[in-house]
Amino acid sequence: MNLFAKAESGAPKTQAELLFAAQQRKERHFRANVALTWGILLFLLVLLFSGPINIDTTFIKNNMLFIAGGVGETIRISILSIILATILALLAALGRLSTFPPIYALSTFYVSLIRGTPLYLQIMFFFLALPQLDIRMPGLWAGVLALGLNYGAYMSEIFRAGLASVGKGQREAATALGMTPGQTMKRVILPQAMRFAIPPTGNEFIAMTKDSALVSATGFVHELTWRAVKVGRAQFHNLEALIMAAIFYWTMTIILSYIQGVIESRLAKGDR
Amino acid sequence: MTSSIVKISKLDKYFGRLHVLKNISLEVPERQVVCLIGRSGSGKSTLLRCINFLEEPSHGSIEVDGVRVEGGEKGSHHRQLVHDVRLKTGMVFQEFNLFPHMSVLENVIEAPIIVKGMDRKKAIELGEQNLDSVGMLFKRDEYPMRLSGGQKQRIAIARALTMEPRVMLFDEPTSALDPELIGEVLNVMKKLAKDGMTMLVVTHEMGFARDVADRVLVMAEGELIEDSKPEDLFKDPKDPRTKALIDRYRSGEN
Repeated sequence: MNLFAKAESGAPKTQAELLFAAQQRKERHFRANVALTWGILLFLLVLLFSGPINIDTTFIKNNMLFIAGGVGETIRISILSIILATILALLAALGRLSTFPPIYALSTFYVSLIRGTPLYLQIMFFFLALPQLDIRMPGLWAGVLALGLNYGAYMSEIFRAGLASVGKGQREAATALGMTPGQTMKRVILPQAMRFAIPPTGNEFIAMTKDSALVSATGFVHELTWRAVKVGRAQFHNLEALIMAAIFYWTMTIILSYIQGVIESRLAKGDR
Repeated sequence: MTSSIVKISKLDKYFGRLHVLKNISLEVPERQVVCLIGRSGSGKSTLLRCINFLEEPSHGSIEVDGVRVEGGEKGSHHRQLVHDVRLKTGMVFQEFNLFPHMSVLENVIEAPIIVKGMDRKKAIELGEQNLDSVGMLFKRDEYPMRLSGGQKQRIAIARALTMEPRVMLFDEPTSALDPELIGEVLNVMKKLAKDGMTMLVVTHEMGFARDVADRVLVMAEGELIEDSKPEDLFKDPKDPRTKALIDRYRSGEN
């Protein structure tokens, strides 16, 4: 960056400075063209829905608040589910390290069962099958349980990779210093594994905000998709309602991806 | 005669079907500096790692400062004895193995606080003292990633010392270092030897073995083939395998 500023100030340029400036120019051109194309695509999309495809703006105005009200519920269910999933994933990953057969078996059994059945089926199971056994819970909790269990199984692989990323030498150094296996895990292995696991966990969270839409199928959780489908069906304006929900989801994931990027670059900087 | 602080008796170690240590017995008196040399695969690192049970011996016993542990046993009593032995030994690794998520000072005081329950203030005082003695106090708040290999290894030595061990084990402490950084680590080790620390050093540094060691052990194929004073060893090696090692060192020196 300094080199670049110098090159523009009119001072004599070395060949390295010239090459660097040329490279910077090339990168800026690329970014500008990408942004321009995004703009055009977005414009075409808007154009499509304002001309050839007729949408009802009064419907949008009237139902904006109702659908937007689902954003909070979507975020709430996603946050609660990711917390549950993180705990389960960590336990399952630690279970995979256990030399005690029942613990190891429990961990692999859980991951296999959950990954071997569809998420949609699992959600329906909690809402529709459990009440048959007289197990009833509030809609939100059933949704959180289903999503958390499901994501926990997938995320256990992330945590497993995180634990595996910490070298054998770290464990040996801690052991030689007299730390017990528990102290070694808590003070030496886990902090390093976590740093490795945070970026992919962020990705899972973004994916979960979208998969939380599946919970709407039960009719008990009034999140974004449920609200869009409800008003869309009732007034036969499914097109407008779903477009609105899509815009909300898209905006949310763009914001979350941005936050994720910031966290990731912070972690990379602190990487020691 | 001084009493031995480390006693290894009839030690055997198998890796699967591979017999890597064959009936090793060895006594090390207090304040002695012992170098273990030999070709790679001769079992010298494994022997060192058996002393603090990073490798569990298959048979035989290890005794450090009066704590005797039989190899190949299990159970909570055995674990307690192993723990006691580990508190009496400090270890320095080839790859340093500093904790990358902790600052230099945190690396040094972590184990004294959580393992020995040392008061934090006292741990910091002791840690700073040891960092100072290896010449690394000026980096106390730095993180390991920003340090050179030689600096990391000196900190690793300070970390082991802050546990106040009776015996220091060095597993090829300079093998991962750039040649120009080896000297600073060897100097710290020389100082430690002069201060009277009992040391067992697995090394390829023949110069260090010759100049600092009180005694040099040569290993080959899982056996101790030579046990002598460095001056005798370099003058008059008994085993042809030792002679080959020393000749190779001499030709490298010239």
